[in-house]
Amino acid sequence: MSTNNELIEAIRYNVIQGRRNKDDEGLEDELTGRPGVEELVREALDKGVPLQDILLRGLSEGMQVVGEKFERKEYFIPDMLAAAEAVGTVMDILEPHLVKEGRQPRGKFVLATVENDQHDIGKNIVGIMLKGAGFQVVDLGISVPSATIVEAVRREEANFVGLSALLDTTMRFMEKTVKGLEAAGLRDKVKVIIGGAPTSPEFAAKIGADAHCRDAFAAVATAEKMAAGSM
Amino acid sequence: MEAGQYRPLQDEDIQAIHEVSVRLLRDPGIKVNSREALEEFARGGAEVDRQEMMVRIPRSMLEDAIDAAPSRVVLCGREEKHDLVLEGKRTYLGTGGTVLNVLDLETGARRPSTLQDVRDLARLVDALDNVHFYMLPVYPNDLPVEEVDVNRFFAALSNTTKHIMGGVYTTEGVRGVIRMAEEISGGPEKLRARPIISMVTCVMSPLLMDATYAGLLMEVARRGIPVVCPAEPLAGATGPCTLAGTVAISNAESLAGLVLAQLVNRGTPTILGTVATAMDMKTGSYLSGNVEMGLINAACAQMAQYYRIPIYATAGMSDAKIPDVQAGYEKMATAMLAALAGANFIHDAAGFLEFCTTASYEQMVIDDEIIGICMRAVRGIEVNEETLAEHVIREVGSGGNFLANMHTMRHCRTEFFQPRVGDRQNRKAWEKEGSLDAAQRARAVAREILSGHRPVPIEEDVLNTLRKEFPALRID
Repeated sequence: MSTNNELIEAIRYNVIQGRRNKDDEGLEDELTGRPGVEELVREALDKGVPLQDILLRGLSEGMQVVGEKFERKEYFIPDMLAAAEAVGTVMDILEPHLVKEGRQPRGKFVLATVENDQHDIGKNIVGIMLKGAGFQVVDLGISVPSATIVEAVRREEANFVGLSALLDTTMRFMEKTVKGLEAAGLRDKVKVIIGGAPTSPEFAAKIGADAHCRDAFAAVATAEKMAAGSM
Repeated sequence: MEAGQYRPLQDEDIQAIHEVSVRLLRDPGIKVNSREALEEFARGGAEVDRQEMMVRIPRSMLEDAIDAAPSRVVLCGREEKHDLVLEGKRTYLGTGGTVLNVLDLETGARRPSTLQDVRDLARLVDALDNVHFYMLPVYPNDLPVEEVDVNRFFAALSNTTKHIMGGVYTTEGVRGVIRMAEEISGGPEKLRARPIISMVTCVMSPLLMDATYAGLLMEVARRGIPVVCPAEPLAGATGPCTLAGTVAISNAESLAGLVLAQLVNRGTPTILGTVATAMDMKTGSYLSGNVEMGLINAACAQMAQYYRIPIYATAGMSDAKIPDVQAGYEKMATAMLAALAGANFIHDAAGFLEFCTTASYEQMVIDDEIIGICMRAVRGIEVNEETLAEHVIREVGSGGNFLANMHTMRHCRTEFFQPRVGDRQNRKAWEKEGSLDAAQRARAVAREILSGHRPVPIEEDVLNTLRKEFPALRID
């Protein structure tokens, strides 16, 4: 029988290994078949391990170590994503418990690649990383018309909207979306974060977005600051 | 690692070059300016003209020597992980020698090299993952000639655990170096079982064995230490202008050296060799960054593969004076060709500039990266169920991505070469770090390694014995 501390430590370790469940192999040898983050979190919930401990000492601390390893170039992007996915998966399991305890979720994102743009790898990475950081994510996909984005923000009561574009011919649709949010009276309820190769902080300022993020890590850091009210 | 993807010679070309080499060694033969070597050749069945000092080697005698020489020579490091298995199309790249100057790491100025440079370059190579061996690259200008041989080898042996190959200058020096290496290895038999040193002599082009080098070759061969007998024809000067003719004469000359080594000690590990290149038809200068050098060396490697004898080849050099763009593209061209051809021991591939006259610390770091890139190309494309990834493609499906897939996580470390010097950051990050070019970044890496890296030392009791036996040894 595992004690609570052992369980939390196992969760943290498996986040670092990027193992969603028992079928994932992780980075170290011979882990396949052993419980992954999902099984461990379910066991912890069954045993009544406090949510606070699962979240902070298990998941968050694990992700922090992963981030540090990535900074040191010890981890590559796929390793980081695997860890974020592992956390993202269990966030769905934890959500009803969080609601029951009356905890506020960190915030809800609506993500989209703007109109006429088919590129989505960057946006998908941002989505995985945000889920890994505990945000709720509604991904609208690619080539999404601004009206659809505005409607989703209203329906989901989103706190953030993340817009992606890879082409300098499509980035203008970001501005159209910001204008659409204003026209719908939603602009002050939602933070607009943009990203993608042709975009820049200057462009963000020009179209009235709240922030520009050069990559997924910057997106998570920015969203965390905004959620904490410091940006 | 097995290479051999690049084959500038067709099978019939190899046969034709072989036949020319055999005919040249039979007639006119090779001039041998050493009485002792002449007698060895005569005893072995060659037709020897003692007046003209000419040796004519019959085909059967040549074939016998090729049979007698081992097809596999293992050059060892003080640590086993650095062992080099020279056979077939396995390829390794490392430093070369010997040059007289070095670009000072701090001032960038060209100055005469010293014993400290032999030590520091060894320590640098010890920490660089892709440079496979340490051939003594610089001459210690601060030492009297009679102290050079043992001190150069010791400075190298004590500062890296990779294999040490070196040129030698005197017969006394050869004996001293071997005695010292025996001491470090733990005895004469242990050194023969795991040779941590090997030596290079040379045959002159065209078709001439010099007395000193013939003497050194016989001395090393008798003592059963792996020996290389390379030839260095310059196309258009000491070899014919055409590449095929230069390959043929280089091949013939090195084979003559192999015959002599096998005559004095049948079965001794002997490595064919070529340092062949071309002369610049405009200036008369020796060239080291010419693409033809890559072609010639790749072809010589094919000849050695035909004989099933390991070969020491030459590539990865440059005629540039500083680690600049020219240095980069010239080095990559010849190193890549020779490596893909499967030349076994490619020397001069790390740390040299300026027609093989100057060593450079930052260039050594850049060349480590060039070698890494060459070795990735040599590794080629692995094709099997796992790497074809059919199931993964199906799993990801239309419009998905592979970045977050376990298969990517599993292979992303080993499938791609990761540069250390090459900059892959965006412009902003690059500017933040000072907008450094590759040479400046390499200099920083060299400084960092030299300030911190400590190689596995030679045991203190061995050092004490060496101190007693070799009073001239500079033990730092």
